[in-house]
Amino acid sequence: MSSKRIPRLGIGGPVGSGKTMLIEQVVPRLSSRGYKAGIVSNDVVSREDAERMRRNLATERGLMSEDLVVGLATGGCPHTAVREDPSMNISVVEDMESKNRDLDLILIESGGDNITTTFSPALADYFIYIIDVSGGDKYPRKRGLGIESCDLLVINKIDIAPYVGADLSVMERDAKAIRGSKPYVFVN
Amino acid sequence: MSIHKPSIEEISMLQLSDSFFPSGMYTTSSGLEALYYSNRKITDTDGLRDLIKVYLEHQIGPADCSALGNSYEHIQRKDLQKLVEVDNTIFSMKLIEEVRNASTRSGTQVLRCVGSFRTDNSILNGYQEAVRDKRASGVYPVALAVSGNALGIPKYKAALMMLYGFSVSMVGAALRLGVLQHFDGQRIIHELKPTISESVEKNIDRALTSMWQFAPDIDLLQIAHERMSSKMFIT
Repeated sequence: MSSKRIPRLGIGGPVGSGKTMLIEQVVPRLSSRGYKAGIVSNDVVSREDAERMRRNLATERGLMSEDLVVGLATGGCPHTAVREDPSMNISVVEDMESKNRDLDLILIESGGDNITTTFSPALADYFIYIIDVSGGDKYPRKRGLGIESCDLLVINKIDIAPYVGADLSVMERDAKAIRGSKPYVFVN
Repeated sequence: MSIHKPSIEEISMLQLSDSFFPSGMYTTSSGLEALYYSNRKITDTDGLRDLIKVYLEHQIGPADCSALGNSYEHIQRKDLQKLVEVDNTIFSMKLIEEVRNASTRSGTQVLRCVGSFRTDNSILNGYQEAVRDKRASGVYPVALAVSGNALGIPKYKAALMMLYGFSVSMVGAALRLGVLQHFDGQRIIHELKPTISESVEKNIDRALTSMWQFAPDIDLLQIAHERMSSKMFIT
Protein backbone atom coordinates (compact mmCIF):
# COMPACT_ATOMS: atom_id res chain seq x y z
CA MET A 1 0.00 0.00 0.00
CA SER A 2 1.49 3.35 -0.97
CA SER A 3 1.32 6.16 1.53
CA LYS A 4 1.17 9.52 -0.14
CA ARG A 5 2.80 12.24 1.90
CA ILE A 6 0.32 15.07 2.16
CA PRO A 7 2.13 18.41 1.81
CA ARG A 8 2.41 20.45 5.00
CA LEU A 9 2.60 24.20 5.26
CA GLY A 10 3.64 25.93 8.47
CA ILE A 11 2.34 29.37 9.39
CA GLY A 12 4.46 31.24 11.93
CA GLY A 13 4.52 34.75 13.29
CA PRO A 14 4.20 36.91 16.40
CA VAL A 15 1.06 37.08 18.48
CA GLY A 16 -1.66 39.01 16.70
CA SER A 17 0.14 39.22 13.36
CA GLY A 18 -2.73 37.57 11.51
CA LYS A 19 -1.87 33.85 11.29
CA THR A 20 -5.38 32.65 11.98
CA MET A 21 -6.92 35.26 9.73
CA LEU A 22 -4.55 34.23 6.94
CA ILE A 23 -5.72 30.64 7.26
CA GLU A 24 -9.35 31.74 7.30
CA GLN A 25 -8.75 33.65 4.06
CA VAL A 26 -6.74 30.94 2.32
CA VAL A 27 -8.88 27.90 3.07
CA PRO A 28 -12.06 29.16 1.32
CA ARG A 29 -9.99 30.06 -1.74
CA LEU A 30 -8.45 26.59 -1.76
CA SER A 31 -11.87 25.05 -1.34
CA SER A 32 -13.26 27.01 -4.28
CA ARG A 33 -10.50 25.48 -6.43
CA GLY A 34 -11.30 21.99 -5.25
CA TYR A 35 -8.50 21.59 -2.72
CA LYS A 36 -9.14 20.05 0.65
CA ALA A 37 -7.14 21.21 3.67
CA GLY A 38 -6.71 20.20 7.28
CA ILE A 39 -5.60 22.56 10.03
CA VAL A 40 -3.57 22.00 13.19
CA SER A 41 -3.63 25.10 15.33
CA ASN A 42 -1.04 25.38 18.09
CA ASP A 43 -2.01 27.77 20.78
CA VAL A 44 -0.07 28.81 23.79
CA VAL A 45 -3.03 29.34 26.02
CA SER A 46 -6.30 28.19 24.64
CA ARG A 47 -8.01 26.28 21.92
CA GLU A 48 -9.86 29.44 21.03
CA ASP A 49 -8.18 29.86 17.67
CA ALA A 50 -8.94 26.30 16.64
CA GLU A 51 -12.53 26.62 17.79
CA ARG A 52 -12.95 29.92 16.00
CA MET A 53 -11.62 28.42 12.78
CA ARG A 54 -13.77 25.35 13.21
CA ARG A 55 -16.81 27.56 13.65
CA ASN A 56 -15.98 29.86 10.75
CA LEU A 57 -14.80 27.31 8.24
CA ALA A 58 -16.64 24.16 9.18
CA THR A 59 -19.76 24.75 11.23
CA GLU A 60 -20.99 27.94 9.59
CA ARG A 61 -19.61 27.77 6.08
CA GLY A 62 -19.36 24.02 5.62
CA LEU A 63 -16.01 24.29 3.85
CA MET A 64 -14.51 21.40 5.77
CA SER A 65 -15.55 18.88 8.36
CA GLU A 66 -15.04 19.87 11.98
CA ASP A 67 -12.58 17.08 12.67
CA LEU A 68 -10.17 18.69 10.20
CA VAL A 69 -9.50 21.58 12.58
CA VAL A 70 -7.50 20.37 15.56
CA GLY A 71 -6.18 22.48 18.43
CA LEU A 72 -2.99 21.48 20.21
CA ALA A 73 -1.70 23.03 23.44
CA THR A 74 2.08 23.30 23.49
CA GLY A 75 3.04 23.72 27.13
CA GLY A 76 3.91 27.37 26.73
CA CYS A 77 6.67 26.56 24.25
CA PRO A 78 5.42 27.51 20.77
CA HIS A 79 8.74 27.36 18.97
CA THR A 80 9.73 24.07 20.60
CA ALA A 81 6.48 22.55 19.36
CA VAL A 82 7.29 23.32 15.72
CA ARG A 83 11.07 22.99 15.74
CA GLU A 84 13.16 21.48 18.57
CA ASP A 85 10.58 18.87 19.51
CA PRO A 86 7.71 18.73 17.03
CA SER A 87 6.77 15.20 18.15
CA MET A 88 3.26 16.12 19.34
CA ASN A 89 2.51 18.09 16.19
CA ILE A 90 3.84 15.29 14.02
CA SER A 91 1.67 12.81 15.90
CA VAL A 92 -1.47 14.93 15.41
CA VAL A 93 -0.66 15.54 11.73
CA GLU A 94 -0.08 11.85 11.10
CA ASP A 95 -3.39 11.04 12.79
CA MET A 96 -5.09 13.49 10.47
CA GLU A 97 -3.30 12.04 7.44
CA SER A 98 -4.20 8.47 8.28
CA LYS A 99 -7.89 9.32 8.69
CA ASN A 100 -8.11 11.66 5.71
CA ARG A 101 -6.06 10.29 2.82
CA ASP A 102 -7.81 12.66 0.38
CA LEU A 103 -6.39 15.84 1.91
CA ASP A 104 -4.38 18.06 -0.42
CA LEU A 105 -2.69 20.15 2.25
CA ILE A 106 -2.24 20.33 6.00
CA LEU A 107 -1.73 23.75 7.53
CA ILE A 108 0.11 23.96 10.85
CA GLU A 109 -0.32 27.24 12.67
CA SER A 110 2.28 27.85 15.35
CA GLY A 111 1.44 29.64 18.56
CA GLY A 112 2.38 33.32 18.57
CA ASP A 113 6.12 33.61 19.07
CA ASN A 114 9.14 35.76 18.37
CA ILE A 115 10.95 36.45 15.10
CA THR A 116 13.34 33.52 15.52
CA THR A 117 10.63 30.90 14.98
CA THR A 118 11.19 28.45 12.17
CA PHE A 119 9.61 25.10 11.37
CA SER A 120 11.41 21.80 11.49
CA PRO A 121 11.53 20.24 8.02
CA ALA A 122 10.33 17.06 9.73
CA LEU A 123 7.07 18.86 10.42
CA ALA A 124 6.52 21.27 7.53
CA ASP A 125 7.61 21.18 3.90
CA TYR A 126 7.30 24.94 3.58
CA PHE A 127 6.55 27.74 5.94
CA ILE A 128 5.07 31.19 5.76
CA TYR A 129 6.13 33.81 8.29
CA ILE A 130 3.73 36.66 8.90
CA ILE A 131 4.50 39.98 10.58
CA ASP A 132 2.36 43.05 10.77
CA VAL A 133 3.13 46.76 10.52
CA SER A 134 2.10 47.49 14.11
CA GLY A 135 5.45 46.02 15.11
CA GLY A 136 6.99 49.02 13.41
CA ASP A 137 9.13 49.34 10.29
CA LYS A 138 12.17 48.09 12.18
CA TYR A 139 10.95 44.69 10.94
CA PRO A 140 12.06 43.06 8.71
CA ARG A 141 15.32 45.02 9.12
CA LYS A 142 15.83 43.51 12.56
CA ARG A 143 16.05 40.16 10.82
CA GLY A 144 15.39 36.97 12.79
CA LEU A 145 15.43 33.42 11.45
CA GLY A 146 11.70 33.40 10.80
CA ILE A 147 11.86 36.53 8.67
CA GLU A 148 15.03 35.48 6.86
CA SER A 149 14.45 31.85 6.10
CA CYS A 150 10.71 31.43 5.53
CA ASP A 151 9.49 30.46 2.08
CA LEU A 152 7.14 33.43 1.97
CA LEU A 153 7.22 36.53 4.16
CA VAL A 154 3.82 38.15 4.61
CA ILE A 155 3.65 41.75 5.84
CA ASN A 156 0.12 42.33 7.09
CA LYS A 157 -2.20 45.16 8.10
CA ILE A 158 -0.68 47.67 5.68
CA ASP A 159 -3.78 49.89 5.96
CA ILE A 160 -2.81 50.98 9.46
CA ALA A 161 0.81 51.77 8.59
CA PRO A 162 0.25 55.57 8.62
CA TYR A 163 -1.32 55.36 12.07
CA VAL A 164 1.57 53.46 13.62
CA GLY A 165 4.35 55.37 11.93
CA ALA A 166 5.47 52.47 9.77
CA ASP A 167 6.98 53.38 6.40
CA LEU A 168 6.06 50.66 3.91
CA SER A 169 8.80 51.69 1.49
CA VAL A 170 11.37 51.13 4.23
CA MET A 171 9.90 47.71 4.97
CA GLU A 172 9.99 46.79 1.29
CA ARG A 173 13.56 47.96 0.88
CA ASP A 174 14.63 45.93 3.91
CA ALA A 175 12.65 42.85 2.87
CA LYS A 176 14.47 42.87 -0.50
CA ALA A 177 17.85 43.36 1.14
CA ILE A 178 17.35 40.62 3.70
CA ARG A 179 15.54 38.05 1.63
CA GLY A 180 17.26 38.50 -1.72
CA SER A 181 15.28 36.56 -4.30
CA LYS A 182 12.97 34.93 -1.75
CA PRO A 183 9.39 36.15 -2.02
CA TYR A 184 7.53 38.58 0.23
CA VAL A 185 4.11 40.13 -0.06
CA PHE A 186 2.23 43.04 1.49
CA VAL A 187 -1.36 42.28 2.45
CA ASN A 188 -4.27 43.68 4.28
CA MET B 1 45.13 4.30 38.52
CA SER B 2 42.38 2.80 36.41
CA ILE B 3 40.02 5.15 34.70
CA HIS B 4 36.46 4.13 34.12
CA LYS B 5 35.76 4.43 30.43
CA PRO B 6 32.13 5.41 30.01
CA SER B 7 30.18 2.88 28.04
CA ILE B 8 28.09 3.75 25.01
CA GLU B 9 25.09 2.52 26.99
CA GLU B 10 25.75 5.06 29.76
CA ILE B 11 25.89 7.85 27.21
CA SER B 12 22.71 6.51 25.57
CA MET B 13 21.02 6.81 28.93
CA LEU B 14 22.05 10.46 29.06
CA GLN B 15 20.70 10.95 25.55
CA LEU B 16 17.28 9.51 26.27
CA SER B 17 16.88 11.34 29.56
CA ASP B 18 18.00 14.68 28.15
CA SER B 19 15.15 17.20 27.99
CA PHE B 20 16.35 17.92 24.46
CA PHE B 21 15.34 14.41 23.40
CA PRO B 22 12.09 14.82 21.41
CA SER B 23 9.52 13.03 23.55
CA GLY B 24 6.97 15.85 23.76
CA MET B 25 6.96 15.66 27.56
CA TYR B 26 7.29 19.46 27.83
CA THR B 27 3.64 19.71 26.75
CA THR B 28 2.37 17.83 29.83
CA SER B 29 1.55 19.00 33.32
CA SER B 30 -0.18 15.78 34.46
CA GLY B 31 -3.11 17.80 35.77
CA LEU B 32 -1.02 20.37 37.65
CA GLU B 33 -2.46 23.10 35.46
CA ALA B 34 -5.98 22.22 36.59
CA LEU B 35 -4.86 22.35 40.20
CA TYR B 36 -3.25 25.73 39.58
CA TYR B 37 -6.54 27.20 38.38
CA SER B 38 -8.62 25.56 41.11
CA ASN B 39 -9.23 26.72 44.63
CA ARG B 40 -6.65 24.20 45.86
CA LYS B 41 -3.67 25.89 44.25
CA ILE B 42 -0.29 24.74 45.50
CA THR B 43 1.33 27.72 47.16
CA ASP B 44 4.62 26.35 48.33
CA THR B 45 7.37 24.21 46.91
CA ASP B 46 7.02 21.54 49.60
CA GLY B 47 3.41 21.08 48.49
CA LEU B 48 4.57 20.47 44.92
CA ARG B 49 7.20 18.01 46.03
CA ASP B 50 4.63 16.10 48.09
CA LEU B 51 2.22 16.05 45.15
CA ILE B 52 4.85 14.59 42.83
CA LYS B 53 5.58 11.97 45.50
CA VAL B 54 1.96 10.86 45.33
CA TYR B 55 2.19 10.41 41.56
CA LEU B 56 5.42 8.42 41.91
CA GLU B 57 4.22 6.20 44.74
CA HIS B 58 0.61 5.63 43.68
CA GLN B 59 0.53 5.88 39.91
CA ILE B 60 3.73 6.06 37.91
CA GLY B 61 5.62 3.67 40.20
CA PRO B 62 3.21 0.73 40.61
CA ALA B 63 1.78 1.06 37.09
CA ASP B 64 4.21 2.57 34.55
CA CYS B 65 7.39 1.35 36.23
CA SER B 66 5.95 -2.16 36.51
CA ALA B 67 4.95 -2.04 32.85
CA LEU B 68 8.46 -1.04 31.90
CA GLY B 69 9.95 -3.87 33.97
CA ASN B 70 7.61 -6.43 32.47
CA SER B 71 8.35 -5.13 29.00
CA TYR B 72 12.06 -5.63 29.53
CA GLU B 73 11.49 -9.25 30.61
CA HIS B 74 9.59 -10.05 27.42
CA ILE B 75 12.04 -8.11 25.28
CA GLN B 76 14.89 -10.25 26.64
CA ARG B 77 12.92 -13.36 25.62
CA LYS B 78 12.06 -11.74 22.27
CA ASP B 79 8.39 -12.40 23.00
CA LEU B 80 6.57 -9.73 21.01
CA GLN B 81 3.15 -11.12 21.81
CA LYS B 82 3.69 -10.81 25.56
CA LEU B 83 5.14 -7.33 25.02
CA VAL B 84 1.95 -6.30 23.20
CA GLU B 85 -0.01 -7.73 26.12
CA VAL B 86 1.88 -5.45 28.52
CA ASP B 87 1.17 -2.54 26.18
CA ASN B 88 -2.54 -3.29 26.12
CA THR B 89 -2.66 -3.70 29.89
CA ILE B 90 -0.96 -0.45 30.86
CA PHE B 91 -2.91 1.37 28.14
CA SER B 92 -6.16 0.19 29.66
CA MET B 93 -5.05 1.44 33.07
CA LYS B 94 -4.72 5.01 31.81
CA LEU B 95 -8.23 6.05 32.68
CA ILE B 96 -8.20 9.61 31.39
CA GLU B 97 -8.31 10.11 27.61
CA GLU B 98 -5.93 13.09 27.61
CA VAL B 99 -3.38 11.08 29.57
CA ARG B 100 -3.73 8.04 27.31
CA ASN B 101 -3.33 10.18 24.20
CA ALA B 102 -0.29 11.99 25.57
CA SER B 103 1.36 8.72 26.60
CA THR B 104 0.83 7.05 23.24
CA ARG B 105 1.86 10.14 21.27
CA SER B 106 5.06 10.45 23.32
CA GLY B 107 5.75 6.75 23.14
CA THR B 108 5.32 6.40 19.39
CA GLN B 109 7.51 9.39 18.69
CA VAL B 110 10.28 8.15 21.00
CA LEU B 111 10.10 4.81 19.23
CA ARG B 112 10.34 6.43 15.81
CA CYS B 113 13.23 8.63 16.83
CA VAL B 114 15.31 5.77 18.23
CA GLY B 115 14.19 3.53 15.38
CA SER B 116 15.59 6.06 12.93
CA PHE B 117 19.15 5.41 14.10
CA ARG B 118 18.78 1.87 15.52
CA THR B 119 17.31 0.30 12.43
CA ASP B 120 18.49 -3.23 13.05
CA ASN B 121 16.75 -4.04 16.32
CA SER B 122 14.19 -6.76 15.60
CA ILE B 123 12.05 -6.26 18.70
CA LEU B 124 11.88 -2.50 18.11
CA ASN B 125 10.91 -3.06 14.50
CA GLY B 126 8.35 -5.68 15.51
CA TYR B 127 6.81 -3.47 18.16
CA GLN B 128 6.67 -0.50 15.77
CA GLU B 129 4.84 -2.70 13.31
CA ALA B 130 2.41 -3.74 16.04
CA VAL B 131 1.77 -0.05 16.76
CA ARG B 132 1.23 0.67 13.05
CA ASP B 133 -1.20 -2.25 12.83
CA LYS B 134 -2.94 -0.99 15.98
CA ARG B 135 -2.29 -4.23 17.87
CA ALA B 136 -0.32 -2.06 20.30
CA SER B 137 -0.80 1.56 21.32
CA GLY B 138 2.85 2.66 21.68
CA VAL B 139 2.17 3.68 25.28
CA TYR B 140 5.17 5.47 26.77
CA PRO B 141 6.51 3.00 29.40
CA VAL B 142 6.58 0.15 26.89
CA ALA B 143 7.97 2.33 24.09
CA LEU B 144 10.70 3.56 26.43
CA ALA B 145 11.54 -0.01 27.41
CA VAL B 146 11.83 -1.05 23.76
CA SER B 147 13.87 2.03 22.85
CA GLY B 148 16.07 1.77 25.94
CA ASN B 149 16.76 -1.89 25.29
CA ALA B 150 17.67 -1.12 21.68
CA LEU B 151 20.34 1.24 23.02
CA GLY B 152 21.63 -1.27 25.57
CA ILE B 153 20.24 0.60 28.57
CA PRO B 154 19.54 -1.84 31.41
CA LYS B 155 16.07 -2.18 32.90
CA TYR B 156 16.78 -0.44 36.22
CA LYS B 157 18.38 2.54 34.54
CA ALA B 158 15.51 2.87 32.09
CA ALA B 159 13.10 2.89 35.02
CA LEU B 160 15.15 5.58 36.77
CA MET B 161 15.11 7.61 33.57
CA MET B 162 11.35 7.35 33.30
CA LEU B 163 10.58 8.34 36.87
CA TYR B 164 13.19 11.08 36.86
CA GLY B 165 11.87 12.37 33.55
CA PHE B 166 8.32 12.42 34.89
CA SER B 167 9.43 14.38 37.96
CA VAL B 168 11.32 16.89 35.83
CA SER B 169 8.33 17.37 33.52
CA MET B 170 6.14 18.23 36.50
CA VAL B 171 8.70 20.64 37.90
CA GLY B 172 9.03 22.17 34.43
CA ALA B 173 5.27 22.65 34.23
CA ALA B 174 5.28 24.23 37.68
CA LEU B 175 8.01 26.63 36.56
CA ARG B 176 6.00 27.72 33.56
CA LEU B 177 2.89 28.13 35.68
CA GLY B 178 4.87 30.36 38.00
CA VAL B 179 4.45 28.11 41.03
CA LEU B 180 8.16 28.23 41.86
CA GLN B 181 11.49 29.60 40.68
CA HIS B 182 14.24 27.58 39.05
CA PHE B 183 16.46 26.96 42.10
CA ASP B 184 13.46 25.67 44.03
CA GLY B 185 12.74 23.36 41.13
CA GLN B 186 16.18 21.82 41.40
CA ARG B 187 15.84 21.51 45.18
CA ILE B 188 12.59 19.57 44.72
CA ILE B 189 14.18 17.26 42.17
CA HIS B 190 17.02 16.59 44.59
CA GLU B 191 14.56 15.88 47.42
CA LEU B 192 12.63 13.45 45.23
CA LYS B 193 15.64 11.28 44.50
CA PRO B 194 15.02 8.83 47.39
CA THR B 195 11.35 8.47 46.33
CA ILE B 196 12.38 7.83 42.74
CA SER B 197 14.92 5.24 43.84
CA GLU B 198 12.50 3.48 46.19
CA SER B 199 9.72 3.45 43.57
CA VAL B 200 11.99 1.75 41.08
CA GLU B 201 13.18 -0.80 43.61
CA LYS B 202 9.65 -1.58 44.74
CA ASN B 203 8.01 -1.82 41.33
CA ILE B 204 10.49 -2.79 38.63
CA ASP B 205 10.09 -6.54 39.21
CA ARG B 206 6.37 -6.47 39.97
CA ALA B 207 4.38 -9.08 38.06
CA LEU B 208 1.96 -7.88 35.39
CA THR B 209 -0.96 -9.26 37.38
CA SER B 210 0.12 -7.20 40.39
CA MET B 211 0.31 -3.85 38.58
CA TRP B 212 -1.84 -1.27 40.31
CA GLN B 213 -2.54 2.40 40.71
CA PHE B 214 -4.77 4.22 43.14
CA ALA B 215 -4.80 8.01 43.18
CA PRO B 216 -8.45 9.03 42.70
CA ASP B 217 -7.81 12.69 43.55
CA ILE B 218 -5.22 12.81 40.79
CA ASP B 219 -7.63 11.13 38.39
CA LEU B 220 -10.21 13.81 39.22
CA LEU B 221 -7.60 16.50 38.66
CA GLN B 222 -6.77 15.09 35.25
CA ILE B 223 -10.47 14.88 34.38
CA ALA B 224 -10.82 18.53 35.42
CA HIS B 225 -7.92 19.37 33.13
CA GLU B 226 -9.66 17.70 30.20
CA ARG B 227 -12.62 20.00 30.72
CA MET B 228 -10.65 23.24 30.91
CA SER B 229 -11.58 25.55 28.06
CA SER B 230 -8.28 27.35 28.16
CA LYS B 231 -5.08 25.43 28.73
CA MET B 232 -1.38 25.61 28.16
CA PHE B 233 -0.68 21.89 28.46
CA ILE B 234 -2.12 18.81 26.81
CA THR B 235 -2.55 17.09 30.19
